[in-house]
Amino acid sequence: MIKKILISNRGEIAVRIMRTCREMDIKSVAVFSDADRSSLHVRYAGEAFHIGASPSSESYLAMDKIINAAKKSGADAVHPGYGFLSESAEFAKKVRQAGLIFIGPSSHAISTMGDKIIARQTAIKSGVPVVPGTTSPVISENDVIKVASEIGYPIIIKASAGGGGKGMRLVKNIEELAESLRMAKSEAMAAFGDDSVYVEKYIESPHHIEFQLLADQHGNIIHLCERECSIQRRHQKVVEESPSPIISSKMRDEMGKAAVALAKSVDYEGAGTVEFLVDNKGNYFFLEMNTRLQVEHPITERVIGLDLVKEQIKIASGQKLAHKQEDIRQSGHAIECRVYAEDTENNFMPDAGKIKHITEPLGFGVRTDGYVYEGYEIPIYYDPMISKLIVWGRTRIDAINRMKRALYEYKITGVKTTIPFLERIMNEPDFVKGNYDTHFIQDNIDSLLPKSTDDNQLRQDIATITAFYHYYKRLERIKKISIVEKSHDYWRNYGRRKNSVRI
Amino acid sequence: MGQDFEIKINNKLQSVQLLKEDGNILQLNVDGRKYEVDLISFENGIFSILHKNKSYNVELVEGETNKKFVVNTLYKSYDIEIIDAESRYLASRNLSKELTGNNIISSPMPGRIVRIPVVEKQEVVAGQTVVVVSAMKMESEYKSPKKGIIQHIHVKEGDVVTGHQPLVTIE
Repeated sequence: MIKKILISNRGEIAVRIMRTCREMDIKSVAVFSDADRSSLHVRYAGEAFHIGASPSSESYLAMDKIINAAKKSGADAVHPGYGFLSESAEFAKKVRQAGLIFIGPSSHAISTMGDKIIARQTAIKSGVPVVPGTTSPVISENDVIKVASEIGYPIIIKASAGGGGKGMRLVKNIEELAESLRMAKSEAMAAFGDDSVYVEKYIESPHHIEFQLLADQHGNIIHLCERECSIQRRHQKVVEESPSPIISSKMRDEMGKAAVALAKSVDYEGAGTVEFLVDNKGNYFFLEMNTRLQVEHPITERVIGLDLVKEQIKIASGQKLAHKQEDIRQSGHAIECRVYAEDTENNFMPDAGKIKHITEPLGFGVRTDGYVYEGYEIPIYYDPMISKLIVWGRTRIDAINRMKRALYEYKITGVKTTIPFLERIMNEPDFVKGNYDTHFIQDNIDSLLPKSTDDNQLRQDIATITAFYHYYKRLERIKKISIVEKSHDYWRNYGRRKNSVRI
Repeated sequence: MGQDFEIKINNKLQSVQLLKEDGNILQLNVDGRKYEVDLISFENGIFSILHKNKSYNVELVEGETNKKFVVNTLYKSYDIEIIDAESRYLASRNLSKELTGNNIISSPMPGRIVRIPVVEKQEVVAGQTVVVVSAMKMESEYKSPKKGIIQHIHVKEGDVVTGHQPLVTIE
């Protein structure tokens, strides 16, 4: 059994992993950069090693420094968390070559799933549906017509070298095809200097749904049902829930089996996630596989009742899965909101700074996975996520109401946060009805980001009164100091006044 | 007693007068609107206000100067500035414009300078990017609000800047 784990990560996920270590009586080792000396994961860990300068390239991505720290500490395993080196096949290999256990899958599984084209081919071989289309560039109009008649309209033409929507054209029928193809090619040429394009079926009203997997070293693989992750902004997940409001138990069964088949084909080991796109008719297509713990894993923990980090550690120690597929059932409903240090009214600009005050929500069915505390200064070098708020309820509506209550209690000052934005999502009728897809935020942006003009005079006056009172009390305090000190030392008195208030 | 100030809230000027103070019960006049509130303050700038038995939780965060605050009510954040003799004096000497005027581009939040695609004495047009700042894995471009000449660049590439620090002056 593993006795000591080095966590090659920071922030909330490092703290979350250490919590499980403590429960399992495993010693935890933190690593930290210059900017993170005061981070909670350093304080929480049993041991901590400084590994370099603040930019992640010199610390949390510096493989050799991390492996050195692991050896020095006498750790027998390394947990990579998510992000940073968690999906680096090279890091997994180096850790194992150093004689340590890497808590995660084999380098082969990581690199196979890390390459989009190989992953797609692997999915096809395992009988998992992929988004229909061409994998190699198409040349002539006739080629495109042929492909389109096979996969059916609407189709989308994408630039091979592309990104950012350039060289992308939606084609609804054969009449539009010639013109769209010509435009896509010329746009691709102008933007990337390469006019090769490929064709994919356009998924209408797409949902992003993923399946959590657990696989041991003895060939047993189970899935822990789905997570609905369609509430996204610029491909960043914002809210996740389990179960998904659109997945039937038949679909769950089918998609779960597909995910397990895919994992089997690469001899997967540990915790992993298979992501699917699901259209509004219930067709599903393989998107990608994440060979690590996901940010949103707590909602699965809550409805399934398993600690995923504990399962990861047990698997890495060589133990067999203690649960069979038929034992796995979602109980109740869980929702997670990601709280970011971002200014939603200013185009979601990240906002670093010092936390002046924080009150975290408590009470039945509420969990926060975070790492900031009062007086902590959020560094500018890393992700702006402050915490994850996870609630559970017997029904979806119970969970939504509980999330609203928890967001109301959650108070953070010093930095701007996305809490008000999350509250508006919880109140949006389409969300409450469970009637949403990945376009939700973009489609509802007007009600999610209300105009800055404020017409509530009373609320404004309450704010004015607060500022007035605060300033008035400070003046009173200074006056008192002035009276007491007057007869003594004029210069000290002057300096004190100058420091506290300019009069 | 009878303390009064002018207070700027979201760029609107209002006069506020304290009429009576009895423990934590205050009577005030805000631009002609009379209020009686029960106000208590906690540490860390947290206030609880009862007005006609309705409960408000308000947070106050100190701003760049000791007369500027950000005040957060439940759903709304306000920029508030106390206007007194000193602020008026500064304003009349145009000093405050010098500090916040739009010919200085300053950082709205802390970050690291990634790129400065302009040099001093260079002519720029409105909307031209003059500095790129990275914070928390996101790069933001700061653009010139007007046509002008780069008078001074206050920072260099790789610098770590705090919020509201001057970056580039455009003449």
